[in-house]
Amino acid sequence: MTETMIRLEGLTKRFPGQTEPAVEGLTMDILEGEIVVLVGPSGCGKTTTMKLINRLIEPTSGRIFLEGVDITRSNPDQLRRRIGYVIQQIGLFPHMTIFENIATVPRMLRWEEDRIRRRVDELLDMVGMDPPRYRDRYPKELSGGQRQRVGVARALSADPPVMLMDEPFGAIDPITRERLQDEFLRIQSEIRKTIVFVTHDIDEAIKMGDRIAILRERSQIAQYDVPEVILANPADEFVKDFIGSGAALKRLGFSFVQDLELAQWPTARIDDDRDTMLRAIRRALANRGWLLLLDDQRRPRRWVTARDLQRADTPTGAMGQEVKAVVPSEATLADALNEMIRTQSSFAVVVDASGAYRGTIDFTVVTTTGDDAAAGGLPGQAQANDEQAGEVGGRSLRP
Amino acid sequence: MPNPPLTSHERNGVSFWEYLSRNWDDVLLLTRDHATIVAVAIAISTAIGVGLGILTYRNQTARTVVLQITGVFLTIPSFALYALLASVPFLGIGGKPVVIALTMYALLPIIRNTVAGLLGVDSAIVESAQGMGMGRWRRLFRIELPLAWPVVITGIRVSTLLIIGIAALGAVVNGPGLGELILEGLNNATSPFGLALALAGFVGVVALGILFDALFFLLTPLTVPRGIK
Repeated sequence: MTETMIRLEGLTKRFPGQTEPAVEGLTMDILEGEIVVLVGPSGCGKTTTMKLINRLIEPTSGRIFLEGVDITRSNPDQLRRRIGYVIQQIGLFPHMTIFENIATVPRMLRWEEDRIRRRVDELLDMVGMDPPRYRDRYPKELSGGQRQRVGVARALSADPPVMLMDEPFGAIDPITRERLQDEFLRIQSEIRKTIVFVTHDIDEAIKMGDRIAILRERSQIAQYDVPEVILANPADEFVKDFIGSGAALKRLGFSFVQDLELAQWPTARIDDDRDTMLRAIRRALANRGWLLLLDDQRRPRRWVTARDLQRADTPTGAMGQEVKAVVPSEATLADALNEMIRTQSSFAVVVDASGAYRGTIDFTVVTTTGDDAAAGGLPGQAQANDEQAGEVGGRSLRP
Repeated sequence: MPNPPLTSHERNGVSFWEYLSRNWDDVLLLTRDHATIVAVAIAISTAIGVGLGILTYRNQTARTVVLQITGVFLTIPSFALYALLASVPFLGIGGKPVVIALTMYALLPIIRNTVAGLLGVDSAIVESAQGMGMGRWRRLFRIELPLAWPVVITGIRVSTLLIIGIAALGAVVNGPGLGELILEGLNNATSPFGLALALAGFVGVVALGILFDALFFLLTPLTVPRGIK
């Protein structure tokens, strides 16, 4: 059972000289081991909200609980040593080596020098940087992506239960950003930290977030839910606008091929004789005209018609058409759609992990499923959203 | 001051080089005294200046007040300041009023550069230090001052060169250093001997300037952290 790691209770922040509070009466629970993304237009107070958690900004009123303990009045420096902090500009100390940068918090916590050395090497390994090669370098000798990795390693140095990340990948080129995001998700799947992640980019929020809080001005929560539900069922116009016009397409990234009912085609082994193949075509319940030839491991090889089979001069291995669009069953509908577009096919063959034939998926199935895929495709989400659950009943979806 | 070991007869016809070769030890001694008084004044004004810079850089009003007051110091003619300080009862004449005057003159560049250096530290670096749980003073000494140091040391260098010249005038209140030669030369202005004395003082001051500058040239890379060079 997941516990609440961070609880914000009626948090308000009023900056002197401003009529409107930056954050007003914010209450939210952040569960242990989850990445919660605070996302919203600029000026909505999301960064202020994040800084209230490690008290870089002191709340005007309200309370903050960390692991059930009220930290609103505790020593801020000691609190911050238990909360990893990564900002967009990274803020590595330029006059210190990579080792010294990462060792900063462990040193303040008076760890043994030996333990610090082991920890720094372990972290550099974790973020994919060779310790002997990078330990003694200075930040200016690293690329932007490497600095960001060191920033993450430094935030993790004392193994804090909580990490705050303020647009951590915002200043990095798109290709490197994508790689760092993937790497970070891989690391997170191992370390399971509770992470509060701030971004203004809804796509990044959808990719990184276990849960997304869409904030409007004064840090008011417009919707706080898992990304699938937000995409399928935006709470209001504000959320809908913020998600943007690509929502339906983005939703396909949360529905999986294996959750759909796959269409079946007559199949035969590629080394069967032609009569067996012809019989297989004719025996098929609905005569679809095409026969799928599989190899000895049931991997799809070629599509053939009865006419191809009657043309005796070609060997069976070269008959008909090559199978082009193939998707693994654990792929998302977005992957399937991409594969169809790439191969200019109206459907794709679905295979299991070993590459063996499972069925096929049709373009129209993908497009019609898009409407309610989020609710139906992921049963876990249905409970989180009763309204949507009522519509599950699945046309092409499995019950 | 040490009397040049020359008879009054000899004095009248002596050249600069003759004077220097015969009085090398004395000139060297005066140069050493000059360097010492400058070094003492710089040490004191660095301590006060960096301290005031640290105390005031975050507060616009305090910063402005301190810079304006120390700016006024620089406009006081050194002659007047020496005379003024020498007339303070417990100071009297000699090294004390000179050290105090030099310290006052050296303050502005040091404070100014300390403030500029500290304000110039990337705020993201300071914020991440704070976010990692570094307290106010740890942040200042581990992060902000080391990063501001190249600018601070430049201020100290400027101040040093500035007061080497001003220190020469300290001789008017009987302060130690090369000013003695210059003043003595002024008293014998009509004779070639006077010129030799003044030149010796002048050359000594310039040489000292070059020496100190070279010292800073060597010291700066040694004290600036490697990662920000």
